[in-house]
Amino acid sequence: MSPTATAARPAKKSASAPASVPGYAGKLLRINLTTGKIWTEPWAEDMREYVGGIGLGAKILYEEVGPKVHWDHPDNRLILATGPLAGLPVWGTGGLTVVTRGAQTDGATSTQANGFFGAALKYSGYDAIVVQGQAKALSYLYINDDTVEIRPAAHLKGKDTWETQEALEKEHGLTGHRISVYSIGPAGENLVRFAAIQGDYGHVASKNGCGAVMGKKRLKAVCIVRGTRSLMPHDARGLVQAADDIAHDLKTDPASSTLYRFGTLPGVSNLYKLGVLPIKNYTTNLTTVDMSTWEPAKLRAGFDHRGHQCNACGMHHCHIQVIGKGPKAGELVDEPEYEGWSGAGWQIGLTDKESITWLNTRLDRACLDVNEFGWVCGWVMECMEKGYLTEKQVGFRLNWGDVDGAYRLIQMISHREGFGDLLAEGVKRASEKIGGEAAKCAVYTRKGASPRGHDHRGRWEEMLDTCTSSNGTMESANATHQTEIGLPGRINPFNGEEVARMVGGILGRKHFEDSLGGCIFTFRTRIEFLARALSAATGWHYTLADALRLGRRTAAILRAFNLRCGIGTDVEYPSARYGSQPVDGPAKDHNIMDQWERMREVWYETVGYDIRTGKPTRETLKKLGLDWLAKDLWRK
Amino acid sequence: MAQVGSRPALSATFEVTTWVTRHVGGDGSGSKFFAETFAPGETLRQVMRRFSARHPELDAALWSPDRTQLGEHLEVVVNDAVLGVTHDLDTPLTGGERITLLGQFMGG
Repeated sequence: MSPTATAARPAKKSASAPASVPGYAGKLLRINLTTGKIWTEPWAEDMREYVGGIGLGAKILYEEVGPKVHWDHPDNRLILATGPLAGLPVWGTGGLTVVTRGAQTDGATSTQANGFFGAALKYSGYDAIVVQGQAKALSYLYINDDTVEIRPAAHLKGKDTWETQEALEKEHGLTGHRISVYSIGPAGENLVRFAAIQGDYGHVASKNGCGAVMGKKRLKAVCIVRGTRSLMPHDARGLVQAADDIAHDLKTDPASSTLYRFGTLPGVSNLYKLGVLPIKNYTTNLTTVDMSTWEPAKLRAGFDHRGHQCNACGMHHCHIQVIGKGPKAGELVDEPEYEGWSGAGWQIGLTDKESITWLNTRLDRACLDVNEFGWVCGWVMECMEKGYLTEKQVGFRLNWGDVDGAYRLIQMISHREGFGDLLAEGVKRASEKIGGEAAKCAVYTRKGASPRGHDHRGRWEEMLDTCTSSNGTMESANATHQTEIGLPGRINPFNGEEVARMVGGILGRKHFEDSLGGCIFTFRTRIEFLARALSAATGWHYTLADALRLGRRTAAILRAFNLRCGIGTDVEYPSARYGSQPVDGPAKDHNIMDQWERMREVWYETVGYDIRTGKPTRETLKKLGLDWLAKDLWRK
Repeated sequence: MAQVGSRPALSATFEVTTWVTRHVGGDGSGSKFFAETFAPGETLRQVMRRFSARHPELDAALWSPDRTQLGEHLEVVVNDAVLGVTHDLDTPLTGGERITLLGQFMGG
């Protein structure tokens, strides 16, 4: 391994080198941890069709990771990509998309985080980092414009993600926005299957065990000094106009204005009313807690908090705060997203706000996905209550709402100690291993992916999306401004056919968003505005129709990747508990499994895939301009 | 009992929650409750139209631009069931209903 290296660049431009495209850095940074080789390659020729982020990542994954290259194989790629809007003056454009073959499903993964990474990377001159190989010893990647080094990280071993960031800030004498660090904690080093990659104090690429992939490569962190290269859009005035329209929409639109003011905090009280807040591992949807104390303003009121905005962001979303009372008083924590309140709170029977914020940050620091931890911990708690797991098996008694016990479990899982070694495999594998009645209590998809922190038995579109998706989490997510693409403004959420048409109908929107290098929350605006911003940035003209087509191309490529990995239609189902009928609450009269097969049929029909094989049809691929993929998929 | 014309009036309660309360004079937190009387046979659509007409900001947020359908950003929950389950817009109300207006939630 070379202790220091300079990114190799072509000595001079070849005659055939494509001209640089505004908005892009125009280069991919390649790292081979096995050999220590670092090089760059130009990227321009297919930018218009793949855009960046998940689009670029899907292409590289499909081309370079074959079916025998499992998640823990050195040849697996860890792609840290950003997109054409990153670093430009559009809200939330520090975006990072991690694409890899993930540890939970052993299939395609795409998971996003924000902060400053994407902007720092672009200012350093790169659109993405593609990591392959495996270092001989724990290492970290240092990027400072053309200086790119694989450095020893023995001194960071065992440190949690916040400690790692602090250590690297100190080492390089830089703090704040001048340096971006994404790293793994002990859970990633110990290959916990639901390890995440965490960065910039509170931002997490959490899905499908991408942190375990990083751990397997013995890559502790990626540390980028904010680069010095200029980044010019094609049409600066047009870009600022589109950015203003996006910001105005976020501030004033009836739905997104709540995101603007409070981020995802309104989820707790709102979703409870709909029976969608997961409580005690799906054993109930009711509580005696006064839910008016869980409204967003009151969730902030108990803490000394400060805005912790991402690159160029004007939202009142991310916050850092200090715990004001209780045994953890004085500790600095990241304000939980909705999923933190659910996964580190309600799902495990914990409703003390100070304890939840503390536990949520401990999960981030260990680099565990808060959703999967919630399913794991809630499962253990329920099984112990019912006698399906014993104190002897687990090592101690763990009751609902026991924050100290939950933290002990975090430690056991992160270090694979005792029963934690089994739990580190995720709730699907752990429950299958234990078997019996315990197996019936676990919440998971049969692919092995973690559901998000909702009770999807009251939100059928998300269960269908989670089970049919090809990226290790939901790929379509919530419908946003769906009337813009001709879909109904609202549907009956318990009419399976309507749900499936909606989920299938919006496929591609989120893939497009995730190609741009920005934030899932600031991009909850009209596609038209995003397409205008992209057009102004690049000089290419994109329409709403282009956006959906490009998104659906990416979805099809990831689906093809998964099929090649052997992940087919037979695993597009929820576990018994995940797909069960609620016993109480607003959704108690509705059983999704009564309509599941029909929902799948309608979804397949809507997206233009073949339900028998799971493949996008030839016609669909032709419409998407993916003839090359049709040849791959349908050659036999 | 109050009378609407010659017929006895019925009543439903509107519960406007959290940030949606800003459209009805609230501060964006808690819930605000409004009793709404109506005549027998009136539908949910009619009662909601009359209620929202008194609150222009809510009216703009609740309905589609052409005012023919509900917009996509507010959830309407009748007696703890989202719209489409026990009630649709053209279901006649019978009195005693609790109609909750809930802001759509985005994100994870």
